[in-house]
Amino acid sequence: MSSEAVARIARLKLRPHRIFGGIKPRAYKSSSLRSRILPCPIPDQLILSLRQHQGEAASPVVKVGDMVLKFQLLAEAENDSALNLHAPTSGKITAIAPHAIPGQSGQPELCVFLETDKQDAEIELTALPDYRAMSHLELLDLISQAGICGLGGAGFPSGLKLGDGIEKEIGLLIINAAECEPYITADEALLREFAEEVVSGAEILQKISLAPQCVIAIEKDKQDAIAALKPALRNSSIKLIALSAKYPTGGEKQIIQGVTGLEVPTGGLPQDIGVLVHNAGTAFAVHKAIIFGEPCVSRITTLTGAPLQTPKNFEALIGTPASYLLKICGLDKKQLTGAIVGGSIMGVELKNFDSPLLKTSNCIIAKSAKEFPQQAKEQACIRCGYCANVCPAQLLPQQLYAYSRSNDRLKLQDYGLADCIECGACAYVCPSNIPLVQYYRASKQEIKESMLRERQSEYWQSRFQTHQYRLKKNQEDKLSKRKKKKSAAGTKTENTFSREKARAEIAAAVERVKARKKKLIASTKLDK
Amino acid sequence: MTELITNSSPMQLGSLKTQRIMLLVIAALLPGISVASWFFGWGFLINVLLAAIFAIGLEAFALGIQKKPIKAGLSDNSALVTALLFGISIPPGSSWWLVFLGIAFAILIAKHAYGGLGQNPFNPAMSGYLFLLISFPLDMTSWQIPVNYPDATPLGWEGLQQSLLVVFPFLFSSTESMQATVDGMTMATPLIVSKMAGTNAILEAQQAGLNIFARTAETGWELMNIAYLCGGLALLALGIISWHIPVSIILTLAIVSGLFYSPHSSAVYGTPYLHLFGSATMVGAFFIATDPVSAATTNKSKILYGIIIGLGIYAVRVWGSYLDSIAIAVLFGNFCAPLLDHYCRPRIYGHPKQGLVSWLLGNRS
Amino acid sequence: MLPLINQPFTQLVIASIVAIICLKFICSIYIFLTAQKAQQKSLIDRINACLPQTQCGQCGYEGCRPYARAIADGDAINKCPPGGNETIISLAHLTNEALTKLNPAHGAIAPFKVAVIREEECIGCTKCIVACPVDAIIGGPKLMHTIIEAECTGCDLCVEPCPVDCIEMIEAGTESVKWVLPSQVGRFSRLLEAPQ
Repeated sequence: MSSEAVARIARLKLRPHRIFGGIKPRAYKSSSLRSRILPCPIPDQLILSLRQHQGEAASPVVKVGDMVLKFQLLAEAENDSALNLHAPTSGKITAIAPHAIPGQSGQPELCVFLETDKQDAEIELTALPDYRAMSHLELLDLISQAGICGLGGAGFPSGLKLGDGIEKEIGLLIINAAECEPYITADEALLREFAEEVVSGAEILQKISLAPQCVIAIEKDKQDAIAALKPALRNSSIKLIALSAKYPTGGEKQIIQGVTGLEVPTGGLPQDIGVLVHNAGTAFAVHKAIIFGEPCVSRITTLTGAPLQTPKNFEALIGTPASYLLKICGLDKKQLTGAIVGGSIMGVELKNFDSPLLKTSNCIIAKSAKEFPQQAKEQACIRCGYCANVCPAQLLPQQLYAYSRSNDRLKLQDYGLADCIECGACAYVCPSNIPLVQYYRASKQEIKESMLRERQSEYWQSRFQTHQYRLKKNQEDKLSKRKKKKSAAGTKTENTFSREKARAEIAAAVERVKARKKKLIASTKLDK
Repeated sequence: MTELITNSSPMQLGSLKTQRIMLLVIAALLPGISVASWFFGWGFLINVLLAAIFAIGLEAFALGIQKKPIKAGLSDNSALVTALLFGISIPPGSSWWLVFLGIAFAILIAKHAYGGLGQNPFNPAMSGYLFLLISFPLDMTSWQIPVNYPDATPLGWEGLQQSLLVVFPFLFSSTESMQATVDGMTMATPLIVSKMAGTNAILEAQQAGLNIFARTAETGWELMNIAYLCGGLALLALGIISWHIPVSIILTLAIVSGLFYSPHSSAVYGTPYLHLFGSATMVGAFFIATDPVSAATTNKSKILYGIIIGLGIYAVRVWGSYLDSIAIAVLFGNFCAPLLDHYCRPRIYGHPKQGLVSWLLGNRS
Repeated sequence: MLPLINQPFTQLVIASIVAIICLKFICSIYIFLTAQKAQQKSLIDRINACLPQTQCGQCGYEGCRPYARAIADGDAINKCPPGGNETIISLAHLTNEALTKLNPAHGAIAPFKVAVIREEECIGCTKCIVACPVDAIIGGPKLMHTIIEAECTGCDLCVEPCPVDCIEMIEAGTESVKWVLPSQVGRFSRLLEAPQ
């Protein structure tokens, strides 16, 4: 089936296609693009969360008091959805304790505290400049070891995604450099300065995923990045596709639609139609992991917002506290009203300024009252339908809102709540200030929980029924046995005790047990 | 441990808010209102202002007795839009009590009895208009305009006096003079001419056409429609309304009237031009039918909604017993809107395309 | 010349459009009717579906289905603490009874908990195994018992019979983040306060 998908992609003409809906918010990108990407100085302390993305936490392999070197493994992934964690610099482990990290919940996660010694002493790395000689599975293993996850924001482990892609057969690899959200410029700055490296990373990804075609998708208005990419792509089979600039072009499903015109079937993954999407930042990390053997210990992060005097892109170490980053960008505390991690649309409010940078934190925005006025009160929906026009999933947000309010689960499912990607375009255009995304998130969670509850209660019911059936049967058995006994006592024939007979019965029983034991041993051996 | 989350992305919001949408709609109505006042005189302007004052007062009253925040409720300007649409639909120079009754029905019954802004299934302004049309048919069909009198300029002092006289009759003691003036001012709209006059008159009118240079009532209708069309196009350009409803209404009306019209027959059908520019079609198509609360919401259903209204307008005008029909047709469209919305949903991203057969069988998966 | 409307081609087009629309409506009505038929279930089954199926017996009946039967016969709908307000709301909808607060005689609303046996203290008396309504406890006479967490309904029935008090109820792991529906804050209390 999936080879069919590959064949279908091979037949397609890759060109910019129309993406459903979308909005054109003010971008606020130019200020952080004024300077080059600068390496961020090493802070005194790094806080490395054992959970860098939405997945399982890794389990630490170092103890408090250990001295570690740069790139040394700190925590190991115990299953596929976890990520290896490496030391971003050399220093001493001072604690392994919960600390706030950026995220929806703002809940503390277990973090490794690394006191840096500013020596930046490295362990020895094995560089692989001629990776082409290696098999794609060996390379895949290296990517998984390097602890790389999707650096665009969602943070799905790259190794897992690639592995799944290899299994399902891939016809097209898309390098997502669209970066459609306002404020974020990390990928644009990266392409401007490291286009060759990103292309090399894309080639490695293409080799691993065995995709016959590869495309770098970027928004039309990023002229500098396109200009830098063109010479880098001269000797490569990778194509460049410039999509029209709107939000959310960079969404995984949207960029697939933009490049191929295909849609990811509902409830499915891009792999199901033979497409794999990786972020440009991920490609850069892959390049470093394979060519230099460096695991993922730093990322390019945009620091921007009106309260910052020098907004810029930093190549910052993972675990750098947000407050440190803001401080070295010249933070004006008087203007500051808060901070966002991520873009201004999909981003998450930073609740604790000491929260560290995660592998998925592509941007930190310092909020000012002028750019982010306090959210106005929710007004009545006037059914203007602007939300339906901008929904990239072609949903009817105003209907979903009404059903979410009335808690009508069947209707919500019928109107495709599950297909909502929570991009927030609907809430952006809503003239009545309705926090639509929040309604959808609450309803989604509610539906999930209630489905779980229903399944559970059905199961419990069946367990209860079998329990009662068992009790009833036991009682019946007892009754019938008693009856038999009574009738046996009544007849009382030559059924008397005989030593010979008893001995024979015992021997037979011993024989049976022995046979069973043998069987058991044989079966356990087989298991091993 | 469960943490409750009460603030969600997006953090950055667009700037187009309900209040501004309503203000822009009002601004787009202004050219039409000024042209209409130029031709129909003070009576028109007084009606619009009166409707606005009544609407704001009644809206505040309705919010007050429901214990809803009055200032926030008034600040969305929706009552003002309702008042303007109502004020321009009723005949110029209607009595104050007529305006009051209509607005009271629109705001109290058609809007707030259903739950206020966003909840009303029917267009409030048109509900108020239809309520008056059914209750006071005579008052609602006499257009009291001093235009056809060569001596009276509509916006002059004399016109003002006359208009005040008809709107507020209790201000003047002498009832006889008032009767005389009002009687003299009644005139017929082009639609009345087309519908009620004899065959010869129709043919004559059609051959003469409308002449935008003469300052007569017919010209007034024509220019007023063009002014509303301009305002509507401005709203389209600003993205306040979508093209689906107005375009489908106008196209439907043009096609249907074109289908029925034959140049030399004596049947009372009227030319497409008369239907589009000799009546209230433009204001209906761009401003009344597009009222988002009561209209259909998906793009496909908007087109069907427009077709239904277009057909309704034509049917009522040609075969019905009422003169103009925007209100009836729009309310009929409102009736159909929920059903249209139910059947005409866009195909969700990633869902299979629907063929005719599966549409007929109604299974969406 | 005939008006366009009277020409055969126009009439054919109009007739076919009308025919398709009529067909659609007939199909819809047929589907609507058949769907209605499939949904018909007995009242007891529908009431039972609203109950949480913990089989805890706090309502005074032996399990959830017996209580459902009793409700169908007219018993009060506010006797189910594990179901909480949600169950009361859905039962009120179903039976057309007035909303009432949970009867405190039957217990209080509490977060979902599961039973856990402190295994080192267990003496293997099998009393809890007998008490469990869903057979979620495994173990034999004079052997250590344990509870399968995934099967436990949190009914509390095994705590009482334990002679050494080695069973405790602990809060089950739920998601750490809960989104709030902006319009839903305090919905139940509003419903109760509303004049009926």
